[in-house]
Parts: sequence; C-alpha cells; structure tokens
Amino acid sequence: MVSEPISVIKVRNVLLVSMPADPDDSTVAALQDRTLDAMSKHDVRGLVLDLSKVEILDSYFARTVAETAQMVGLMGGETIIAGMRPSVAITATELGVTLGKTRTAMTVENALDLAGQAERKVKARR
Amino acid sequence: MNEGSQGEVKIQTEADIAVARRAVRDVASKIGFGVTEIARIVTAASELGRNVHKYAGSGVMRWNALSNGTSSGLELRFEDQGPGIADVNEALREGHTTGGGLGMGLPGAKRLMDEMEIASEVGKGTTVTVRKWRRR
Repeated sequence: MVSEPISVIKVRNVLLVSMPADPDDSTVAALQDRTLDAMSKHDVRGLVLDLSKVEILDSYFARTVAETAQMVGLMGGETIIAGMRPSVAITATELGVTLGKTRTAMTVENALDLAGQAERKVKARR
Repeated sequence: MNEGSQGEVKIQTEADIAVARRAVRDVASKIGFGVTEIARIVTAASELGRNVHKYAGSGVMRWNALSNGTSSGLELRFEDQGPGIADVNEALREGHTTGGGLGMGLPGAKRLMDEMEIASEVGKGTTVTVRKWRRR
C-alpha cells in the first residue's frame, strides 16, 4: 500500500503544503525536497505546513518538519505549522518531540491570516 | 474481535514501518482504545519498528490482543536478530543514541505505553515487548 501523496499549492503569497494522515518514510522525506524546490520556483514569503490530517507524528517525521522549517528560514522564508490535532500534540509531547521555534496556528485559515499580517507589516515599512 | 486474536508484520523495509503502524491502528481501534490512546500506541510502534529497521535491518512485530477478565489491552512484541543492546539501562536513558537519531525511541515509547520489557543479548538480537491497557 502506497501512502497518500503530499499536496503543494501556492495560496496568496505563501506555499501551502498539506501532509497526509499517515505518511510513510519516503513521503516524509519528500516533504523536504518538494517544499524547498517549490520555495525556490515560486515567489512566496513562506510556508504554511498543514498537519490537520496527520494522525501520528513520530520522531523521524518531527525531525524532518523541524529541519524543513530551518531550511526554509535559511532561504529567507517563515514556516507556520497549522492544524495539529489534540491527540497528536499530546502524543508528540509525551514522546519528547519539539519543533524548535517554529510558529504555529490552530487552523490553516489562521496561519494564512498570520502570513498575511506579516506581509502587510513589511509593506507598511516600505 | 475474538479474545486472544493475534498477528504479525514483517519489518524488512522502511515502508514496512508504516504497514506495522496501520496494523496496530486497526487492532487498537477494534479493541476500543480512544483516539489519543491509539495515537500513543501507534507512535510507540513506529519508534520501535524504526529501531528494528535501523539497528537490525529486519525483524518482526507481533501483536496480541489481551484480556485478563476485567480489562482488555494490546501487547506488541518487536523481535530482531540484530547486534543486541550492550547496556539496556543506558539505551533507556533520554538522548542516548548509537544510531544517529535523537535517542528518544526507547524512552519515548516507554512513556507512551503502560509496560515495557527488553530482552537483549549482544550478537543474538533484541526483543522489546510493550503493553497498553484500556482505561475504564
């Protein structure tokens, strides 16, 4: 059985990357490549990583998310993690997983609003 | 589901870790565990399955639906014929790793489950058994 693929789309000025419910290792590994590749191809300010479908975040998946956010940061973008389920947040914390200083939002909508606010602040400063 | 029902998943490739997770999710939900308990059990299975793949190359996960009359639960046993663990206490210490990971696999899985037993012999292999009981 092959796990569902990652979806990558451009929404307004950010890249919206949605992870499937239970991605296998190769799908998790593809997160990094596909995100960084899309970041460099599209004119976007950052990344909203939609985890609302995700049912399990083990240490490998969490490390890949944290590393991806760090790499996006090096490229000049910001990452907002959105929609983590309560059961996943509880389990990941008990496991000992941390996602560094990555920003978070309850929903993808909130994350897109946050990204939009950051954009307006930048424009106001110009 | 029948009491004492059981099964196994061979772990030979990275993709099998996800196969093992799905099998554990199915059986845990049939036993009647709640959403968060299922997430705990599946996450522990993922860490332990990954250890088998990473350290031994291959092995097997056996699951066993438990019933002791008053409560039901799930037992998972991860068996491999890998290099074994020289110091089990050290392996259970937070942040200890010999495999280049974060060292949260064994201690993390222990926290997520109710019981854990490790039997290991250097050069022969390792068996990690974990159990979760349904709260009522």
